[in-house]
Amino acid sequence: MSLLSNSTKRGSVLIVGGGIGGMQAALDLADSGFKVHMVQRDPSIGGTMVMLDKTFPTGDCAMCMISPKMVEAGRHLNIDVHTLAEVSSVEGDAGDFRVKVKVAPRYVDADKCTGCGDCEVKCPKKVSSEFDQNLGQRKAVYSLFPQAVPNTRAIDASQCLCLNDPDRKRCRLCEKACKAGAINYADKGKEIELNVGSIILSPGLDRYDARARQELGLGRWQNVVSSIQFERILSASGPYKGEVKRPSDGRHPKKVAWIQCVGSRDNHNANPWCSSVCCMYATKQSIIAKEHDKNIEPTVFYMEMRAFGKDFDKYVERAKKEYGVRYQRAMVSAVREEPGTGDLVMKYAAEDGTLVTENFDMVVLSVGFQPHCDAEQFAKTFGIETNEYLFAKTSPFTPVKTSREGVFVTGIYQGPKDIPETVIQGSAVAGSVMALLAEARGTETVEKELPPEKDVTGEEARIGVFVCHCGTNISSTVNIDEVVNAVKDQPGVAYVTNTIYACAQDNQDMIKQTIKEQNLNRVVIASCTPRTHEKLFQETIREAGLNKYLFDLADIREQCSWCHKGQNEVATKKAIGIVKMSVAKSRLQEPLQSETVGVTPSCLVIGGGIAGMTSALSLADQGFPVYVIEKDNELGGLVKNVHRTLEGLDVQEFLKDRIEAVKEHPKITVHTGVEVKKTDGFVGNFKTLLTDGSTVDHGAVILATGGVEYEPTEYLYGQSPNVVTQRQLEKRIAEGEMPKSGERYVMIQCVGSREEPNQYCSRICCQDAVKNAIAIKERNPGAEVMILYRDVRTYGLREDYYKKARDLGVIFTRYDVDRKPRVEPAGSRVNVRTWDYMLNKELSLDADWLVLSTGLRPHPSTDRVGEMYKVTRNPDGYFLEAHVKLRPVDFPSEGLFVAGLGHAPKNIDETIAQALAASGRAGVVLSHEKLAVSGIIAKHKRELCMSCLSCFRVCPFGSPYIAEDGKISHNEVKCMGCGICAGICPAKAFQVNNFRDDQILAMIDAAAESEPGVVN
Amino acid sequence: MIVGQQKPFDEIWSMVRDFKKVLVYGCNTCVAICHAGGGKEAEILASMLRMKAAQEGVDMQVDSAAIERHCEPEFFEPLDEKVRTYDLVLSPACGVGVNFLADRLAGAIPVYPGINTSFYGGVPEAGFFVELCGGCGNCILHLTGGICPIVRCSKSLMNGPCGGTNNGKCEVSDQTDCAWYLIVERMKKLGTLEKLLEVQPPRDWSTGTHGGPRRVSLEHIRAYEEKEEKNAATEGK
Repeated sequence: MSLLSNSTKRGSVLIVGGGIGGMQAALDLADSGFKVHMVQRDPSIGGTMVMLDKTFPTGDCAMCMISPKMVEAGRHLNIDVHTLAEVSSVEGDAGDFRVKVKVAPRYVDADKCTGCGDCEVKCPKKVSSEFDQNLGQRKAVYSLFPQAVPNTRAIDASQCLCLNDPDRKRCRLCEKACKAGAINYADKGKEIELNVGSIILSPGLDRYDARARQELGLGRWQNVVSSIQFERILSASGPYKGEVKRPSDGRHPKKVAWIQCVGSRDNHNANPWCSSVCCMYATKQSIIAKEHDKNIEPTVFYMEMRAFGKDFDKYVERAKKEYGVRYQRAMVSAVREEPGTGDLVMKYAAEDGTLVTENFDMVVLSVGFQPHCDAEQFAKTFGIETNEYLFAKTSPFTPVKTSREGVFVTGIYQGPKDIPETVIQGSAVAGSVMALLAEARGTETVEKELPPEKDVTGEEARIGVFVCHCGTNISSTVNIDEVVNAVKDQPGVAYVTNTIYACAQDNQDMIKQTIKEQNLNRVVIASCTPRTHEKLFQETIREAGLNKYLFDLADIREQCSWCHKGQNEVATKKAIGIVKMSVAKSRLQEPLQSETVGVTPSCLVIGGGIAGMTSALSLADQGFPVYVIEKDNELGGLVKNVHRTLEGLDVQEFLKDRIEAVKEHPKITVHTGVEVKKTDGFVGNFKTLLTDGSTVDHGAVILATGGVEYEPTEYLYGQSPNVVTQRQLEKRIAEGEMPKSGERYVMIQCVGSREEPNQYCSRICCQDAVKNAIAIKERNPGAEVMILYRDVRTYGLREDYYKKARDLGVIFTRYDVDRKPRVEPAGSRVNVRTWDYMLNKELSLDADWLVLSTGLRPHPSTDRVGEMYKVTRNPDGYFLEAHVKLRPVDFPSEGLFVAGLGHAPKNIDETIAQALAASGRAGVVLSHEKLAVSGIIAKHKRELCMSCLSCFRVCPFGSPYIAEDGKISHNEVKCMGCGICAGICPAKAFQVNNFRDDQILAMIDAAAESEPGVVN
Repeated sequence: MIVGQQKPFDEIWSMVRDFKKVLVYGCNTCVAICHAGGGKEAEILASMLRMKAAQEGVDMQVDSAAIERHCEPEFFEPLDEKVRTYDLVLSPACGVGVNFLADRLAGAIPVYPGINTSFYGGVPEAGFFVELCGGCGNCILHLTGGICPIVRCSKSLMNGPCGGTNNGKCEVSDQTDCAWYLIVERMKKLGTLEKLLEVQPPRDWSTGTHGGPRRVSLEHIRAYEEKEEKNAATEGK
């Protein structure tokens, strides 16, 4: 904990960078009592993820996943988003920083702008779109992308005709087009000062500019594109609308090549580090390309397939087997264009060394990540140290802490990483900040004051319908007057009007006024989309005293005017249908009360390894009592056997320090030699019985059950004293063993990993081998070390150590899974025979030591704990998180979190980050005195229920349960309102509030103008 | 419970296409639980028929209803009159329900089956049903470790497996466990394997399905009911 006096700490946080990592931190912090200022250089938050088409392995649309988060961050009462803004100076210390922020002029008044985009339509100046990677165009007044947050245009001063005219007389078309009067050519920008307790840096990344590599042809040959350009090509909202075609002639390419490691793993011409994500995004892109156009034949040219993450190897196997993606192990030295055709000719060495020339229709360069071009200045502004590559300097034991107290880092600025790792670090910094600023929690946040809710029960429906023009977005296609007229005499409709912008501040006031004047008890707004505006309008009617669930949004823009542009007659007809459906539903709407449940502000942590202890300490520092349950008789877990990190830090020292801290912390109770016997309850209110007979009441639980090392049965392990595991070798080295000159160590990688039935990478073994090899070579360069590997997966900045090992003379020889090394006893040594692909012949090596790089397995208790808490495991036995990309430490059920090896194999720094993330996520739950349950939940009618158990079996959240009387009951607190129960229930005993069968049927009937024939 | 499965829609359509006014009449007991013929499925089926009729240009009214059970008269009474206003009842109840209602309507209007009644079975997981009893009328599960050889053995063998048993699977399909393999393994666990050495005599099938409809009559209840009726009649006078 900090030594600062309590009175100086601020309850607010500055987050620099609004990508997915920054947003995760912002939402976690703002949801748990901290005021957040988010500063973003671009005109919109979103970062890199918004540019992506889809994410693997689920194939979810990236925008569809991130957009709700952006909207939430943009609308959050306790998050202030400052776009087009950069921090210019930072003064003060942890707990109390003073920050100056320069906000560039937007030339559009964000308070007035409704985001309708009429200005953009009228703007005559077309500019190459940086968002579409210069494959498409935008206007001089623009939004970065259609779902931008804030939903406001900005004028690009370098391109605007008016702003480039000294007299400001030219053009001014956008000013004329804007009905809201939001254009302001005189905007000068501003400087603001913020006073915050902590700073989080999440500035994101730059991509390597592959034009520097002339031989690969980007910017030279039209059909060579960068991987980020290819993302935009794949995107349905991208420049080619998702059609895979060649930039040169628009022809559909057949043979498409990906070239890996462009700008990465190259310490002569480019960046020496591995960018960590390119192997997987190339695999994803080749799969998605194939899904878009089945004639495409993808080939990936690579050095090493670094599919080190959870289930990544399975995804690559799928790409090979189900999609026919060809993986060619070769580094392409040059790409030439065949004159006249636009085709590309590549030369590469095949595995047997022969030179192959092959033609492709299109080439994608898998470009890597690097820190922003101004990273040096950035670090100076915040007063933090960087490493030699200008990434923020952190330690494996404190992966999100910078060198300056109170300043934290998340995402790629800490080192190359993928989306889930970034999200994990986002929650991890949130957890760290919560601990740092614990006593200031709730001091700077605001809450909205609302008038009492009007009781409308028993009243006849008096629906007010507001039909929005959305500037010209809707009205240029849909005849608004016709819609108004058609809805007027619908049953229940008391008032209909049209409005230019329903969402503009003055019209919001008008709607509130109308609700009172017309005595409305239901409101339908026919407008843009519930995605961005439902919550806004719900708040509006709530402010007028109506229950917020008495609102419905009829989407006549995104589901009508936009997709039927130019078909005014049918679009108007459809809009009328949509609004009638909404009215029919609205008529049957009832006020819903959101229940609240109390929260026990303490946490149970299952597992006393490094993950469990890190989570426990972070939560205890936040001020919450924590109970740590450890099965063994002492704390420590698997890390007890690890001596040094790859970077050379002393793990045992660190572990000792953590164990002491846990034991001494007044808020932490440790139960060793104890397991969970029985558990019951739900978010905020768990009750767990332990095997020592004690009972723990807790509001959240972190499953940090850990893992075990695979004990090999292959390669003479256990039969020859010369065969050891990496961990055993590490112990000998730690105990001071000196390798002798001429002594030969042969290491075999992937023992028990990446093969059925354990088709996954254990992630740590390559680094363990490199770490031990370096230690041997440093102690005695005369000792020989040879590593037999399948792919060396020293991802991210770990690549440095792979290079160091090679520089020290460690020999790396690849083997194939179909041609594994063969091991036989040879007197006092062990004979290893392996095929060498470089020499094209078999090597026979007599080894003094055969070292097996054995993988990881989930702890045997994982299954039992999982069953008890009703959380699922993947086929390999690891806990399955709620969403592999955006909810990496959550479970589908609220209040349960995961950290460490129970989730997947990972390194110590990654385990610590995930443990901090779990404590951040748990801190969000525990910081509330009460939790509100959504009104949109399933209601169970017990008198209709037949207890057929369908709901009980399919519910992902475990909310239906078998009650003491042996029949099904429903715990509404656990219900997330997904409606699966209502779908499967044969008795119709489940109905989801606001999506009841009678409402849906009424909507269908309104659309079909028919009546159902149910005989009662 | 009784497990059934909805008939193919085309078959149902060919049954009902010539009727003008059809009632899909669901049963909210066994067939509701197997998602084949409860009130909800009746509504869905009726809706599908309406759509089909609209597509084919057939003028047809299709409504739906459901009652608690199709095998007891009292449940039918409230809707009796309405039901008789239809040209056809399509019943997604089990075969018992179809028979029962057809007897009740006594030729006034036809009752057609909407499902194929399949077997008596269990529901080991959501959406999965498996036959576990043949209703043979002469239970011997105490001799076979609680595993019924009548339905779970393809040949209904009584004295151990046939030559087609193959590593615990039946020669009929590798998806089917050999019941006798299961029985032996179970009896081993129960420690009663030696019981299997007792030879079962040829089976008496007179309790089975081939001697006309079987009846169960609980005399003590029937006698009590008759007495109550008599008392009521006397008091009435």
